[in-house]
Amino acid sequence: MKLYVKVFASLRQKYPDINDFNPLIIDIEKGTKIIDIIELLDFTTDEVHLILLNGIKASIDTSIEGDESILSLFPPIGGG
Amino acid sequence: MNFGYMNKWLKINLTTREIKDFTIPEETLRKYLGGKGIAVYFLWKHGKKLEEKGIDLKELDALSPENMLIFATGPATGTKSPNSGRHHVMALKSPFTGSIGSGNTGGKWGAKLKFTGYDGVIITGKSEKQVYLSIIDGKAELHDAEKIWGKNSVETSEWLRNEHNQSKAGVSCIGPGGENLVPMAVIMNEEHRAAGRTGLGAVMGSKNFKAIIVEGNEKPKIAKPEEFEAKVKEHVEKLKENGVTGQGLPTYGTAVLVNIVNQSGLFPTNNWQKGVDPDAEKISGETLTEKYLIGKNPCWGCVVACGRKTKVDSGKYKIDYTEGPEYESIWALGATTGINDMGAVIKANDNCDIYGIDPISTGSTIAAAMELYEKGKIPDEDIKGLDLKFGNADAVVELSRMTAFREGLGYWIGEGSKKLCEHYGAPDLSMQVKGLEMPAYDPRGAKGIGLNYATANRGGCHVTGYTIAAEILGDVDRFTTEGKAGLTITFQDFTCIVNSAVNCLFLTFALGLDEYAEIIGPVTGWDVTAEELLKTGERITNLERMIINKFGITGKDDTLPKRLLEEKMPEGPSEGQTVDLETMKQEYYKLRGWVDGIPTAEKIKELGLD
Repeated sequence: MKLYVKVFASLRQKYPDINDFNPLIIDIEKGTKIIDIIELLDFTTDEVHLILLNGIKASIDTSIEGDESILSLFPPIGGG
Repeated sequence: MNFGYMNKWLKINLTTREIKDFTIPEETLRKYLGGKGIAVYFLWKHGKKLEEKGIDLKELDALSPENMLIFATGPATGTKSPNSGRHHVMALKSPFTGSIGSGNTGGKWGAKLKFTGYDGVIITGKSEKQVYLSIIDGKAELHDAEKIWGKNSVETSEWLRNEHNQSKAGVSCIGPGGENLVPMAVIMNEEHRAAGRTGLGAVMGSKNFKAIIVEGNEKPKIAKPEEFEAKVKEHVEKLKENGVTGQGLPTYGTAVLVNIVNQSGLFPTNNWQKGVDPDAEKISGETLTEKYLIGKNPCWGCVVACGRKTKVDSGKYKIDYTEGPEYESIWALGATTGINDMGAVIKANDNCDIYGIDPISTGSTIAAAMELYEKGKIPDEDIKGLDLKFGNADAVVELSRMTAFREGLGYWIGEGSKKLCEHYGAPDLSMQVKGLEMPAYDPRGAKGIGLNYATANRGGCHVTGYTIAAEILGDVDRFTTEGKAGLTITFQDFTCIVNSAVNCLFLTFALGLDEYAEIIGPVTGWDVTAEELLKTGERITNLERMIINKFGITGKDDTLPKRLLEEKMPEGPSEGQTVDLETMKQEYYKLRGWVDGIPTAEKIKELGLD
């Protein structure tokens, strides 16, 4: 099944062309864990601080169950 | 002498032109700390005096000479502790909301004020002629401001630095917005920093008071210098190591939040009709950094440097130099008005800065006007050629200027969305609390921030209690209402300490109350604990609440717009959500020791406020 991956802020240093309009599309098996995607993209778990699966907070151990899910990865960020 | 403080305050009656110094006893300083806390204490006393004169505070005109305006620093301000260039500004009553007037601002003005030898300035009365104040090397003088009346914030600052031959002086001033008594006018400092909310600039303008220039060489004395220096070093290291303060904010500025808030489905779009802006990427921190950033402009003593220097290279919004925009102004002048042109957002934000009006309330009120127009509530003759469709960047840029000069529909934008929407017969389209437009997080997607908006004393405000740090950027469940009362109270009372210290709220991404005690202790020489500080924060929140109770503001005003309580979020990751405010609010009151938004006699006694 298809997974859309979006990366933000300093994670774009590795993937400068990936953004909200242009996600990375990868084929995965149902039940793949987010940690596997993070490793596939050559990120460490320290670099990826906030994870959203279809806009909802998830962890590295969360399994991806739905086709065409959106995985959004962020480094530590804040503001106000 | 009290360590950490300059031990001198300035009080000026502009009606009589009397200028006098006074000191604050240690007991009072320890009880209210400084900055916002001490300002709230003075405002409470001033309110009492007005009542003794027979003035009903409910009826007090915020633009009358009786209103009091305070510029305040605290024990951390101007020391080597990180990010301590800030100051807090307050007025007894806001001309914009009718609640208390309050704003915190960056730059260097706070530190520079302390270097003049003063901890703060209290302004009362009304000057017959237009005046400004200089405090240079300990000497305070009023001057004729006729030559700078009408100048914008950048021109005013340049003129004053030249006139006094002080090229590095701090300048706080109003622009045309404040002079024209626009209710949402701000007080600017260092050209692009603002005490931005609740219309403090209009209070200044009503007093015929244009500016304060500050410069000096005195330094606050530290009680335990060695212990202090060691803690400062430790804290700076923590700030540099922390991913938010050491990397996210320095690289992308506050606008780095655009994408995560939008991806989470709580980025208010088209006047809060939606929570996802499909074009948010175009107005994101990443886009700002890639295409518009030309440098950083940190506040005095700052180790984070979120301040942005920007330009727009070409096109009709070309601008060679400005600062910002911040996350909030990008949202207000961008997403909620449906704009995805970053150049237009930068131009409109620059208009707000130089003319001196609040970008959050400006953008949010324009968005309300756009929805009124969409729903056929504003007749064409009232908009005189402006195209008020969502997404029309020209209208936002033009209205951001017209508002400061009270031209055409700009008059109503300046009055704010509450009055605008009442005027056009659709009050539910105004997205405000207590008359103050809410900022850029839809509480249908983060319930705690909704409780904070509802209960914040100054109105719809995020920086009173920034629960977003826990709900969106941290591990707290954002949709539940459970535990949000306690969370909100802790954030609100801790923030009172930040605003009274005075230093930067962004420190709290890396430093907690224990670290605040580690700084306040050696600076002042007091054996202060995190518990004592949190109690001080609670005291400040309660005294501020006691002031707004005097204006008739109670539990009925601790609410949210109907849209957030009743209309389900239509789409995106927060789809189907509303805010169950009442459950959270009752728990909040119980924990606060309040009944219907009013502190009980027991609570008042417990906090030593009786």
